[in-house]
Amino acid sequence: MDRVTCTGCSLLCDDIIIRTDGLYIDEIIGACLKGKERFDQITAKNRIINPFIRKNGELEKVSWDEAFEKVLTIMKTSSKPLLYGFSNSSCEAQLKGIRLAKKIDGFIDSNSTICQGKTLNISRDSGMTLTTISEIINNVDTLILWGLNAAESIPRLLNKTLFTRGKFRMTGREIKTLIIVDPVKSSSFGVMGPRDLALFIEPNRDLELIKILKDECCTADSIPSGGGAGLDESDIRRMLQHLQGAENAVIFVGQGILTTQGNENALKELLELIELVNIQQKKGRISLVMVGGHYNMAGFDHVALTETGKNQNLQFKNNQIIKSNDTIISKIKNEDFDYTIIVGTDPISHLPHQLSSKLASKPIILIDNRKSGISQLADVVLPTAITGIECAGLAYRLDQVPIELKKLVNPPNNVPSDEELLDQIIERLSKK
Amino acid sequence: MEMIVNTVRILEHDQAKEHMFGDDKSLKENVALALINPENLKGLKLTSNSNIKISSQFGSVILKIIEDENVPIGIINIPVSIWANQLTGVENDQLIYKNLKVKVEPSNDPVLDFEDLILKIKPN
Repeated sequence: MDRVTCTGCSLLCDDIIIRTDGLYIDEIIGACLKGKERFDQITAKNRIINPFIRKNGELEKVSWDEAFEKVLTIMKTSSKPLLYGFSNSSCEAQLKGIRLAKKIDGFIDSNSTICQGKTLNISRDSGMTLTTISEIINNVDTLILWGLNAAESIPRLLNKTLFTRGKFRMTGREIKTLIIVDPVKSSSFGVMGPRDLALFIEPNRDLELIKILKDECCTADSIPSGGGAGLDESDIRRMLQHLQGAENAVIFVGQGILTTQGNENALKELLELIELVNIQQKKGRISLVMVGGHYNMAGFDHVALTETGKNQNLQFKNNQIIKSNDTIISKIKNEDFDYTIIVGTDPISHLPHQLSSKLASKPIILIDNRKSGISQLADVVLPTAITGIECAGLAYRLDQVPIELKKLVNPPNNVPSDEELLDQIIERLSKK
Repeated sequence: MEMIVNTVRILEHDQAKEHMFGDDKSLKENVALALINPENLKGLKLTSNSNIKISSQFGSVILKIIEDENVPIGIINIPVSIWANQLTGVENDQLIYKNLKVKVEPSNDPVLDFEDLILKIKPN
């Protein structure tokens, strides 16, 4: 039996027990549904283990040489590549992706740009008080899920942080308060107890609530008597009391607040609220955790920042990074590309139809281990190993802690890792 | 009827999971859904498993209704998927996939297959 790290989501649980003979994984103990699915991907029916090229509208199995030849032909006959994905790849593969983008004067970005990258960008001005999962387990007494359905997106987050006893606390769940701010009664509400606080905020009114809380921090009794954001005055007051009275509180920021109207302002105001409360706090502090879904979404920001000084929207020209106001969305919307390299993601499932159509109008090179919507549109499909199961690598957990992932079994057909594959493309480009 | 659409991730209704373990039929049955409060269902004079047409400023889609009392009145939750993406869009270079204002009406039209939607993206 081996203890391994799960790459089913960005929590990167390191307490999964597996039984393996090095060829197959026979048993998986302790993984959630998402984690189990990740391991099941090895033999899933949509697993890709051979390269494919689209011929006469159909994907045809081809040799690696033929697939690489097609990739190089697309690259040599085009000049505006777009590279996207990478949040389901190791940091090593992300680095190779950035170096490939540099070599071919491309524009590269990860899924983070439409998710927690937004929070990171806003924090450049105000700073951000972060924390780690270990500190949350050991010290936190108040947990706030803001626009986050943890039960569905990070299934073991509450197991680990709400129901555990910390090193510095004699008690566990019974002294911890859970506050959920969400317009929808999601499955996460199912774990709430009598001392917890459910705030069914009206859609798009997060900014209003944050401003009311900020005002109350500065001037006592300024909460409107009618409440705000669809919440009662007493609930808003109770929330602030929890924030100010907590020895240690953590706010898990989810998609709900990232996508609220005027989200940049809401996030900025939220970061300011945290700082405001922290200044007034005598006992402890409030910290924040950015919750992304993919297991290494945080990694791309770290790798890109280290390699180029920018964490997203990287545009290269003459093999140098240049200033650009473009985003992956504006690039696709304005059709400012002539082919794409998609790595480990399915834009068809998360981008609007209008963007998918534009992506599909140009050649697509897909690097992935599974068939999905995008593989039905790709011109070349290159299979790779599953990181953390069939190849090793580094990933950043949602609390920005780097975690080493091990290789557990050999990949089918000896398919390369994302890193090895991207390296081979760079090598072949150099030889041409 | 005017309502608000949120695209949401639900473990039981997950496009990636259906690609892995299901087929085109199970994909459509488990993902092409609109979760809606029973009160709104009454207002539309419909029952669970009926089809509705949802239209946003970006497009429209036919989905099967599923009654869910956890969804607030006036809101429709749709699993993140190729079907949901018929309604989402871009404004000021930002993706709009939550709190979308939509028009909802009963429909006798069928829910499109995954393949049909792929063909909408890239016609042969």
